[in-house]
Amino acid sequence: MEEFSFHKTLPNVEGSDFEQTFLRRNDPSDSHEHWQHRYGCRAWLYVRRNPSSGEVLDVRCLTGVPR
Amino acid sequence: MSPLAPHYSALSLLRARLTPNHWKPLWQRARPREEYDVVVVGGGGHGLATAYHLARDHGIRRVAVLEKSVVGYGNVGRNTTIVRSNYLLPENHYFYEDALRRYETLSRDLNYNVMYSPRGVVDLANSDDEMVALARRGNAMRLAGIDAELLDRRGLVRYAPVLDPYLPRRYPIVGGLVQRRGGTVRHDAVAWGYARAAAACGVDIVERCEVVGLRTAAGVATGVETTRGYIRAGRIVFAVAGHTGQIGTMLGVPLPVETHLLQAMVTEPVKPILDTVLIYMYGHAEVYMAQSDRGGLVMGGTLDGFPSYAREPLWHRVEEVVQGAVAMLPQVAGIRILRHWAGTNDQTMDGSPLIDRIGYDNVFLNGGWCYGGFKAIPASGAACAKLVATGSAPDLIRSFNLGRFASGRVLDEKGAGPFPVRQ
Repeated sequence: MEEFSFHKTLPNVEGSDFEQTFLRRNDPSDSHEHWQHRYGCRAWLYVRRNPSSGEVLDVRCLTGVPR
Repeated sequence: MSPLAPHYSALSLLRARLTPNHWKPLWQRARPREEYDVVVVGGGGHGLATAYHLARDHGIRRVAVLEKSVVGYGNVGRNTTIVRSNYLLPENHYFYEDALRRYETLSRDLNYNVMYSPRGVVDLANSDDEMVALARRGNAMRLAGIDAELLDRRGLVRYAPVLDPYLPRRYPIVGGLVQRRGGTVRHDAVAWGYARAAAACGVDIVERCEVVGLRTAAGVATGVETTRGYIRAGRIVFAVAGHTGQIGTMLGVPLPVETHLLQAMVTEPVKPILDTVLIYMYGHAEVYMAQSDRGGLVMGGTLDGFPSYAREPLWHRVEEVVQGAVAMLPQVAGIRILRHWAGTNDQTMDGSPLIDRIGYDNVFLNGGWCYGGFKAIPASGAACAKLVATGSAPDLIRSFNLGRFASGRVLDEKGAGPFPVRQ
């Protein structure tokens, strides 16, 4: 846990730039996020989590992103 | 204070001491009626204060506060009791200053001792750059007529001798910004005081009643579906700190909110060593500390750093807060942590709150308090009640609207951008 750093939740509202930047549909069981393995290999990750239980549902490395 | 409430005085306390079974419950746990003029969803500080002011200031007494658990179970009972108005932006510092002034007289207003302790709040600096930032904030406060003092190292040690300059510290402390009128208030007492006062004004406080849906007709909200049945309501206020985003989901309205965890802890009781509130930024982290009347050091740090509703304390946050506490006050190194808990914070995209209509003309939102909710309660309750009662937001909260994000008039107190975790 300490090795990873949360970056942001991914936009989940379609619409204008403003709506995608500021608005969120808050689903207590499903959150799509970007994290970084900051104190390790520094890879950027797409993570899908359940924010109520903390369970990680899906993790994928993001390719093409400079470390 | 309503004549319906038993009035506390020295004589009444003596009479109670001498009379068996004199003490009555502070409020009756009401059964929900079929209809109310206003339903307030959330029995925390903001909800109870809103209901109280609706009844006291606007004569609206057919009010129900619906709480899914028990009064005070949520964030009002989980915070670290600090009150202050040392904010940078005028929209925030005027608002929180109103709240602080109300806290100063709240015990008298509610006839219930909320234990306001103006022991001062100090933001510490460990570099010249941080002193410049604190000076900027202090000047903004003073221009608004709010008390603030910038102390150098010598002045700081005179103010708080516990910051002994001869103790070895990892980071130097070079000065600080002091608000002497800031301090602490007993959080449970605020919840109980408002609940008692609201009930005395005729408000029904309904516990174990969770709102699970909204019923609408012809574009107007008509009532709430609850675990204890459907309740009709002329107006509905959502004051559900920690679950504001879920309210948006329920109403089909995306909100500029994410929910993040904030943790706190308290040590074993020790003799009085800290008579003020210290806030300390060190490196990338933050710690704040005060000593409760029972002797425990109450402290916390920054957000957990990712969205969560779990309310479960995490070990790495304990480590970080303790590191910061010891870095700030090396003499506390040997004290043991007694309890550790977490609360859910509704972090807005600009770090400032939301008090506005949401979705429907007769539905209101009081939320997005980030980690500044407790200190805002008295002003929030009064202002939100005025909005609900009159339909028009008072000047104090006019900027806390949902539309500010679309217009670009965000209240980015920290200049962190649309990243709730950095607010």
